[in-house]
Parts: sequence; structure tokens; C-alpha cells
Amino acid sequence: MISRRALEIAAAALTGIFGVVVVVSSIDNGIGWSSAGVDAGTFPFLTGIIIVLGSLYNMGQGAMGRGTLAMVRIAVTPSELRRLAGLFVPAAIFVAVIPLVGMYLASAGYVFAVLALPRRQSVLRALVIAAATPLALYVVFERMFQVSLPHGALAAAFGY
Amino acid sequence: MENLQSLLHGFTIAVTVPHLTLMVIGVLLGILVGVLPGLGAPNGVSLLLPLTFGMQPVSAIILLSSMYWGALFGGSVTSILFNIPGEPSSVATTFDGYPMARDGRPTTALATAFGSAAFGALVGVILITFLASWVAQVALAFGPPEYFAVYFLAFASFVGMGGAAPIKTVVALAIGFAIAAIGIDTVSGSVRLTMGIDELVKGVSFVVAVMGLFGIGELLIAVEEEFQARAVSSRVDWKEVFRALGRLPQHGVALLRSAAIGCWMGITPGGPTAASFMSYGIAKRFSRNGARFGTGEAEGIVAPETADHAAGTSALLPMLSLGIPGSATAAVMMGGLMIWGLNPGPMLFVDQKDFVWGLIASMYVGNIVAVALVLLTVPVFAALMRIPFAVIAPLIVIICVVGAYSVSNSYLDVVLMLGFGVVGYLFKKLHYPLAPLVLAIVIGDKAEDAFRQAMLMSKGSLGIFFANRLVTTLVLAGMALLLLPLALQIVRLLRKPDEAAGEKVRII
Repeated sequence: MISRRALEIAAAALTGIFGVVVVVSSIDNGIGWSSAGVDAGTFPFLTGIIIVLGSLYNMGQGAMGRGTLAMVRIAVTPSELRRLAGLFVPAAIFVAVIPLVGMYLASAGYVFAVLALPRRQSVLRALVIAAATPLALYVVFERMFQVSLPHGALAAAFGY
Repeated sequence: MENLQSLLHGFTIAVTVPHLTLMVIGVLLGILVGVLPGLGAPNGVSLLLPLTFGMQPVSAIILLSSMYWGALFGGSVTSILFNIPGEPSSVATTFDGYPMARDGRPTTALATAFGSAAFGALVGVILITFLASWVAQVALAFGPPEYFAVYFLAFASFVGMGGAAPIKTVVALAIGFAIAAIGIDTVSGSVRLTMGIDELVKGVSFVVAVMGLFGIGELLIAVEEEFQARAVSSRVDWKEVFRALGRLPQHGVALLRSAAIGCWMGITPGGPTAASFMSYGIAKRFSRNGARFGTGEAEGIVAPETADHAAGTSALLPMLSLGIPGSATAAVMMGGLMIWGLNPGPMLFVDQKDFVWGLIASMYVGNIVAVALVLLTVPVFAALMRIPFAVIAPLIVIICVVGAYSVSNSYLDVVLMLGFGVVGYLFKKLHYPLAPLVLAIVIGDKAEDAFRQAMLMSKGSLGIFFANRLVTTLVLAGMALLLLPLALQIVRLLRKPDEAAGEKVRII
């Protein structure tokens, strides 16, 4: 179970860290006014400062349990978290294996795994959808619009 | 009158069997690239370009512009059905289109979108017909300060919507600006905010951001709420298509206002994306049903769609008359013009009358063809909503992944997209507004460039934003829109005692 307070603080911390990174890296580009006009880092620097200040405010509000969502105590229940993971984890694995096996094999495997393993669909139907997906991708992207999708290290090993 | 005569002559060129066939092909291909996220009108037009080299310039531009219309329509389809904007300019359509479709009314949502889009396009073409020669002079007055003022206006009108916690809005906005700044800075040429990752030099495409924020983020919210796609009636409900179209006149004010915003943003190259956001923001503020925006209000679909298409159409005006493309697609088409041996600019209207008026006439016909074809395909797209969510969810993930990859053939983009998905979920969950974030990613760069160029011109004096009547009006209008929520708040506070008294009287 994740409380809303923890989630608010985590989100504000995330945006705050992003802001700090933006500030630090834009100082390298130079801030202020030079002979070439407004320096490249000025705009990002200002936005970074705004992000940091805003995040601190949001974190304070979240920690004190104030703000628009003050009534909601629990953000994510355990069963909700399980469903979220059920979608996100396979998707992340799918993305992770693309460089290895290529878009076509990865998408077929992903569709099959998501449909057949939790027994949401019959194995046959899952197989059909899993086969049709890369085929449709190939026809539309590789053939019609000549956008080459990653074939993966595996295909490269076989000489494609 | 001379314009009308030329237009009639144009129709005799556009309405021929080969040209009508080209329009149908162009529109169908356009709908396809519009529906596929990642592939947009600019990609489609560039891919078709080599095929047109052997054609007459008129036939070539008719094919390409028809593809553009098709893509503009197609982009709305996925926004409404899956909350994945197929085109950047249809992001604002997702705000009300998707809730309406999820509510079991996909046909209504699509028909409303197409109807108002057609109206916007029509207004845009009529405008081109009458203003073609005149606008060239106005647009010449546009320099960097004016561009910045236009972007500022688009921004202010959107921020003026309010709604979310103000500091969260500000943070979302600033993050968008920072993301827009990643990559090569176009003014100084230096590399910014890449954090040592070389691949980031090309910047973060908003397509990647939008697909993660809206596509994956929304999917995560949907599984969390155990969302099941409601069974949509399996009949092809043609009556509902016409009923939805028949209800459009009720939104007359919104239609006219959005068309005006669209035309304005198309000619002053703010572009369709800024136009649709601005129109949505203004509609939300001024509509009687403003409070219900975001839950599937018809007017929330009408406003962005009308402005999007009005801007998309009128964006061809500066391209033809000035050689300044109002959108990415117009830029690709302009490349085509030069390859076919035509020089865009004021002289085009003198030297190539057949070409210019043939194109303008084909815009009328092409948009009618596009509306007819896209309406015919509504049932096909609406049928997609009936596929079980368990099957649709992985397919959406795959579309987002492939879409993010195909933007610039980069695996990093896919990973970023997934990251944006988590951010989208988190932001949505905690009521950070996503719209200002996306708008800042899209036009943040251009706004910054315009501002810095203006500063170079004035040697650092802000006075340049009040140097002439045009730019002063734009800046003041933007400030007024920014301060409007604050002003309304104060008025409400002052009125409160009276209103409370009035309430009591009514109760008694």
C-alpha cells in the first residue's frame, strides 16, 4: 500500500531532482547576457530554478497533507499495485529485449505472453494475434512507409 | 471579384477524373499515416514526394495536400478512441474526445470531431480564397518579437484555464520548457542539457513525450481502475452520425470563435498545435459548460478540432504567398514546389495562376472528399472499441513503442517514452496538469528562439515588445488572459456577500 503523502513527496522529489540537474547543466552553457545576446543556458537555468522552488513548495504541501487531494489518504491499494505491475512489468521486459531479439520477435512474444499466460484468451487466439501483430507491423512500416524497425542482435548474428 | 473568377477557373482544373482519383488516394493514405502515431503528415508527404517528380505540379500538389487533409482527420481518430494523439495537433482533442468515447459514445465523438473539423477547414479555405493576395502584406510585418508575442498569447490563453493547483501547473510548465531545451540550441549552436548522453543531442521529440504521457500513462490509470471497455452497440449507427452532425449548430459560437483562432494562428505561423490548445483553453473559460470540460463535452471536441483544421488549411497561405511554411508539412510541400520548378512567394500568384487556383479549388473538393471518406470509415474505427481491453492494452503498448522508435530510429526514444509513461501516470494521479507540459514541449523552443532573436534585435531592451501596434496588442492580450483568472477570483470575492444574500432570497 502506498499512501498519497508518500506519493506526493516522491513526485515532488523527482521533479526537484530534475530541476537541480537542469540548473547544474545549464550553468555550463553560460547564463546571462553576452556579446552574442541572451546566453544559451539562461532559459533552462530559469526554468530549472522555477522547478526546484515549485517542487519544494509541492513537497511541503504533500508532507503536511494539504492541497487539492487532501481528502484522499491512500493512493494505491495492494490489488491496484498488482494490476499496475501486471501491465508495466511485461511492457518493460518487452522494451528491454528489443535490442536483443528485434521488434518483430519481441512484439510477438510480448503479445503471446500477456494474452495466453494469465488465461485471458484461448491459447489459439493468443497465437493468432501474436502472429498477426509483427506481420502487420512489417507490412505497414517496412513495406509501405519504408521505416526500418530494429531487427535485433539475434537477426544480425544470422546475417540480416 | 477577380479572385472568384480565378477560383472558378481553378475548379475546372481540380474537378477532373484523374485529379479526383488522386484526391481519394491522397486522403486514404493520409488517414492511414494520421491514425498511426509516430508517422505523421510530414512523414507521409515526404515519402510520397519522390512519386510526384514525374507529375504536373498541380496534380502533385493536389495529391500531397489531400494527404495532408487525410492526416489531419486521421489524427483525431486515435486521439478519440485510444487517447493516443496520432498528430501533435490532435492532443487537445483527447481531453474531451476520449472520455466521450470511453463513455460508450465513440460514434458521436468521431462525428462531432469530423463535422467541426470540416467546418474549420471550410472557413480556412474561404479565407485563403479572399485574402490570398492581401495577407502577403500583413505577414511581412512579422518579426521575432511578433512571433514571441503570438506564442505568448497561445500560452497565456491556455494557462488562463486554471483548474489545477497553481504551483503544480507552474512546475509542469517549467519541466516542459526544460525538455524542449534539450539538444542543440538553434540560436547559439551549443548543446544543452544532454547530461552526457550523446543521443540526446537531437532533442526529445514531443511525439515521444506525448505517446508516453498519454498513451502509456493513460493505460496505467486504466488498469489501476480496472477499466473495461464498455460494449458499444454493434450496429453501425448511421443515424447517430447524422444526429451528431445535426447538433453541431448548437455550438455555433464555439465553431466561429475556434475557426477565427485557427485562421489567425495558421496565417501568423503559430501552427495548428498551438491553435488547438489555445482554442480549447478559451472555450473552457467562456463556455457555459466550461466546468464539465474534460469529461466528454461536445464543445470540448468542437473547439480544438475546428481550430486545428482552420489553422492547418490557412497555414498553406503564408507558404504560397510568402514562402514561409506555417507547419512542418507545409515546409515539406514547399520543398516539393521548388523541386517541381516553382518559386513560392508573391510572384507565384502572378506567374502560376493555374497552379495556385487549381490548388485552392482542390482544397474545397479535397476536404469534401476527406469528410466523406473519413465518415465512411467511422464504423470501422468505432468497431475497434469493442475489442477486449486485455487485447487492446498490449497492442497500444506496441503502437507506442514502434511509434516512438520510428520518430528518429532511436532505441533511446523508446526507453524515454516508457519513462514518460511513468511520469504521465504519476502526474495524472497527483493532479499535475499534463496539457501545459505538452504545450511547453511543443512550442517552448520556438518561443525561446523568438524571444532571444528579439532581444538581439533590441540589444536587450524589453521595449521591443511594445515597439509597434501589432506586437503591443498581442502582448497586452496575452497579459490580460494571464491575469483573467486572478481578476475573476477578486470579482467573485467582492461579490460573495451579495450572492449569498441572493441565494437566501431564492431559498425563501
